[in-house]
Amino acid sequence: HRKKIDPDEVADEIPLKLVEADVSLEAAEDLASLVRNKLKEDTTLDPNEVLSSSILEMMPEYKFDVLNVNKKPFVVLFLGINGTGKTTTIGKFAHYLKRNGKSVVIAAADTFRAGAIEQISLIGREAGTEVIRHDRGSDPSSVAFDAIEHARARNIDYVLIDTAGRMNTNKNLLDEMKKIKRVSKPDLTLLVIDAVSGQDSVNQARMFEENVGYDGVIVTKLDTDARGGSILSIYHDLKKPVLFVCTGQGLDDIMPFDRNWYVRKLIPEPENETA
Amino acid sequence: MVLESFSASLRETIRKITGSSYIDKETVKEISKDLQRILLKADVNVKTVLQVTKEMERRALEEKPPAGMAHQDYMVRIIYEELLKILGEPSNVKLKPQTIMLVGLYGNGKTTTAGKLARFFAKKGLNSGLIAADVHRYAAYDQLKQIASEVNAKFYGDQSEKDPVRLIKHGLEQLKDVAVKIIDTSGRDSMDAELFDEIRRIKEAVAPDEVLMIIDATMGQQAGPEAKAFNDAIGVTGIIITKMDGTAKGGGALSAVAEIHVPIYFIGTGEHMDDLEVFDPKKFLSRLLGL
Ligand SMILES: Nc1nc2c(ncn2[C@@H]2O[C@H](COP(=O)(O)OP(=O)(O)OP(=O)(O)O)[C@@H](O)[C@H]2O)c(=O)[nH]1
Ligand SMILES: Nc1nc2c(ncn2[C@@H]2O[C@H](COP(=O)(O)OP(=O)(O)OP(=O)(O)O)[C@@H](O)[C@H]2O)c(=O)[nH]1
Ligand SMILES: [K+]
Ligand SMILES: [Mg+2]
Ligand SMILES: [Mg+2]
Repeated sequence: HRKKIDPDEVADEIPLKLVEADVSLEAAEDLASLVRNKLKEDTTLDPNEVLSSSILEMMPEYKFDVLNVNKKPFVVLFLGINGTGKTTTIGKFAHYLKRNGKSVVIAAADTFRAGAIEQISLIGREAGTEVIRHDRGSDPSSVAFDAIEHARARNIDYVLIDTAGRMNTNKNLLDEMKKIKRVSKPDLTLLVIDAVSGQDSVNQARMFEENVGYDGVIVTKLDTDARGGSILSIYHDLKKPVLFVCTGQGLDDIMPFDRNWYVRKLIPEPENETA
Repeated sequence: MVLESFSASLRETIRKITGSSYIDKETVKEISKDLQRILLKADVNVKTVLQVTKEMERRALEEKPPAGMAHQDYMVRIIYEELLKILGEPSNVKLKPQTIMLVGLYGNGKTTTAGKLARFFAKKGLNSGLIAADVHRYAAYDQLKQIASEVNAKFYGDQSEKDPVRLIKHGLEQLKDVAVKIIDTSGRDSMDAELFDEIRRIKEAVAPDEVLMIIDATMGQQAGPEAKAFNDAIGVTGIIITKMDGTAKGGGALSAVAEIHVPIYFIGTGEHMDDLEVFDPKKFLSRLLGL
């Protein structure tokens, strides 16, 4: 016999619970009212199931298979603020593509940060992928351009462009990013978000959308104790799909985004009631 | 204090109570709710937010504003004071020869901050040596080496040495005539037992004067718990907040302080070696609260 539930009581507890998982306050509050309304319509529903299904509703299934594209070379551009994991993710992405029988070339278009060209070169070697590089300080757009030419000449399937981390507030660097995008005409642009970051994730997602534009998101560092609330927030605020998540520093630590996996991570199993 | 210019949301709440000669429990609750929203949106830890606002509620009901001060201004002052209390007494690195170890999560800015610190000490007349003890990340060696050359600091690294403890011992020996030795370590988090064990071994063997935790301003709810884990493992002596040039408010760093009670020394405000400022608690709180 089910315990009687109070929809308001259930809903009132949701925002803080989700903010604790780094969901944006707005998304958490919207979710709470969604749950409240559903429970008011039918008080026999299980609150936890209602919460899970409401979260899934906020994250519509996205049908795009990065392995099944009809353009060659298929150009993927990576962007994001500093240190979120772009370069590491490119190594994993290259490894994922190669494991699935694709050929890949990487453009070392972070020509700014100390050690960036060396880092992507070593990662490329580890992933068995060629890396097109220019000198430090040179024009990132022309590195991207050369890598695409290289792929065309050698019939390579994918070009992955690594770019320098740039703050969402830095006008000059956002303009530079626009230029890289204009020159490389990517088929897919991916924003890389760090799961450890909190309420700011949606600011990043919004400002990169307004200033550069992108198609989807990759969320990194989900092997930490961060629960990745930003994934839900970005679906809620920007309607952008998450394509992959990363769960470690190794080349294998990447997987296509699975909504059900995510819901379990975001809301841990409810404790079994004994009474 | 520039109370007039508080965030729109808080101002709205304050407007609600303007004119009332006393504040009742309900009004206090309402203000507390609004304050909670502001703090949560700035990434202050839920636990810290509830503590601070509870204390504010208590004080608002028990204390009387000083003569001539309106209730609403007094409420704001309590909030500000409680947060300032968390930040503690201002303190900073000592301007003397010492060994500093930088620790923190992946990509938060340790290696970059090593260079910024070297430049800071150089301006104070102390030369620095940077030790590349991140044996895990690709090209961590090259990154620190290039940064060292940019700031004219000495550099020690050894790409064939995979044991950071041995590497650091050699480094300290090589750099013994340098005033400030700054050790750059790998990114890690508390879920990674192996890397946490490594940093414990390093700390024990090296016994640095300062263990500075580098906290990215964008860090969310895990900043407090992670700071606690680092502190429990190796004893953190200070915090540097990085990436304050973005839109993030740094509430995670505040929560870290609430958890481990160590001072914030500096903030990083950009990728360049000069982008390091001495921490100013009042400026920090103004920004956090949306002044
Ligand atoms: N634990 C963990 N660490 C990660 C993950 N992804 C990246 N990292 C680490 O995060 C740090 C930064 O990664 P990078 O790939 O250099 O980040 P970036 O965005 O290219 O950085 P910039 O180019 O400087 O902006 C490195 O220490 C990586 O090993 C992940 O999924 N899990
Ligand atoms: N905008 C901005 N970028 C910063 C700041 N501090 C560091 N960065 C950038 O953040 C990124 C990561 O910095 P690193 O110094 O490599 O971080 P780390 O903690 O050493 O990273 P791991 O060794 O991989 O854990 C780089 O792109 C830096 O340029 C800052 O204050 N502002
Ligand atoms: K880990
Ligand atoms: Mg990079
Ligand atoms: Mg580093």
